[in-house]
Amino acid sequence: MIKLQKVCYVRLGTPDLEGATRFATDILGLEVAHASRKSCHFKSDQREHTLCYLEGDPAIQIAGFEVASKADLDDAATELDALGRTVHVGSREEADARMVRDFIGFTDPSGNRIELVWRPAVAGTRYHGTRDAGITGFSHIGLHSTDPARDEAFWTKVCNARVSDRIGDAPLLRIDEVHHSIALFASSRTGIQHINHQVESGDDIMRSLNFLNERGVRITFGPGRHPSSSAKFLYFEGPDGMVFEYSSGVRLIADELLYRERQFRSDPKGFCQWGAKPQIPEFS
Amino acid sequence: MGKELGYTQGGLPRVCARIRGSAIGGGMIVIEQLRYVRLGTRDLAAASDFAQHILGLEPTERTDAQAAFRSDSRDLTLVFVADEARAQTIGLQVRDEDALDHAASLLVRTGHQVLPGDPETAARRKVKSLLSFSSENGVSVDLVVRPLHSGWRYFPSRDAGVTGLEAVALRAKTIDKSENLWTKIIAGRVSDWVGDAAYIRFDGAHHRLSLHPSSTSGILAVEFAVESVDQLMQSSYFLQERQVRIVHGPGRRPASQQIFLTFAGPDGVLFSYVSEGRTIDESDHRPRQFPRRAHSFCAWGSRSEVPEFNPDTTLCKERGRA
Repeated sequence: MIKLQKVCYVRLGTPDLEGATRFATDILGLEVAHASRKSCHFKSDQREHTLCYLEGDPAIQIAGFEVASKADLDDAATELDALGRTVHVGSREEADARMVRDFIGFTDPSGNRIELVWRPAVAGTRYHGTRDAGITGFSHIGLHSTDPARDEAFWTKVCNARVSDRIGDAPLLRIDEVHHSIALFASSRTGIQHINHQVESGDDIMRSLNFLNERGVRITFGPGRHPSSSAKFLYFEGPDGMVFEYSSGVRLIADELLYRERQFRSDPKGFCQWGAKPQIPEFS
Repeated sequence: MGKELGYTQGGLPRVCARIRGSAIGGGMIVIEQLRYVRLGTRDLAAASDFAQHILGLEPTERTDAQAAFRSDSRDLTLVFVADEARAQTIGLQVRDEDALDHAASLLVRTGHQVLPGDPETAARRKVKSLLSFSSENGVSVDLVVRPLHSGWRYFPSRDAGVTGLEAVALRAKTIDKSENLWTKIIAGRVSDWVGDAAYIRFDGAHHRLSLHPSSTSGILAVEFAVESVDQLMQSSYFLQERQVRIVHGPGRRPASQQIFLTFAGPDGVLFSYVSEGRTIDESDHRPRQFPRRAHSFCAWGSRSEVPEFNPDTTLCKERGRA
């Protein structure tokens, strides 16, 4: 079993690195950790980086997960290999670009590019955002899935993810106490469906609502509250059509033995208990 | 019960015992509770429909002349009255008949015209006795004794989560005179100012009245407390779907820390849902002065078309004219 510890980073290609950087800092509120001509790394918490924009094809969308040890990384490679999945062992140069010691890359059954990393860099200095968005850190991703049931089996049987709840057939998966770190949404395409950053409070969500509205950023869902994770949320559109989310107050699942996943309806009421209607295809 | 502030078990505000002992009151008129609002309307049917189906209150008594609504364990807190002149009244409870007599003489001494309430008016208002006078705001004030309580659980028309009548916002043409009435003749205390707008408290809540400098007079908004941010946000979507005009919020007031949602009601009166918010510790509070700008009315950055809540616009307009 592949033991995922934590969702670590997202790497996104973009044809407009400058525009994407402006969005990540001025709008989203991240801090530039390291900028070069071809890429820009952004910091959202104590980690050295949690988001990286690369000059290139926006179809390049990679999610990185941390594993606890080199042995876990090697075991994962063996296990994936045995399942017939092509495993790419990262070179020194590639690992440096990701600010990790070692990593392997593979694709999940839908074709989503996943990386397992060992010893991702933690920063000595704390995160200080470009604007006061109240971000406390990069927290989870949604993935496009061409077959949620098949992919759920991969993430829960090959990896150590557990189903926390389902909205229709979309499973919300946890790998630690946080209600979900991965969510799989039925789609005809592959890649990252949304990128979540946690903010301190509901006040931060509502302040950002007005901030984003004033700057003409398209709000695609919310403000609202998820009945599943109980988090207050706001979804909005970033560069290259990527969906970003701020949320606050996500439920923690401390008791693995007593917890049972619940089935929520696959309509706006299953996604929001305040009455917001999503303008996001995978949520409709 | 020296330091007892805030709310009784029934959720109703209770005046601080020390204030009742008149250490702060000092001969002024001590208010026990904000009790009711009476609003004149030219279309009683439409106003009642709004109160019941939009605002979500519980209708109680309905005649051709008026429609009364409950918002909590009290018998009524909002009454719409068929009235071409659209007169507006707020009802405030005083302790007893002695307090009412004292109020009458103090008001007469300070140049107010006092109307003693006759038994029919008292019966219509569901109080034992009352007097009325006209405030500086074009709003008449009832001081009432023994207003009717209800022993029955509040059961609203829709699940808006209303927990009670919370506050009234008044427009004031002469803000100094208005503040003087509510803090020097009546024993209200200023909790905070935004520019010259004043939040005035009578009990442990941050405010029960707010006075807003304005070019007109009358009631600006009637505010009902709701359980939590969930109910407030649910109402924000509920009202949008029904095309009720939201004029301010959802937002959070920096002074009181309340979250709020303000929307248009019948006859030009605004209504708000509010929740959360701070209480005031009498021994440890000094009124604060907030700057006169829109951000002092909303810490989330929501903008309002209502000039009283959007002084920046007013300033721009004034500058534009000059």
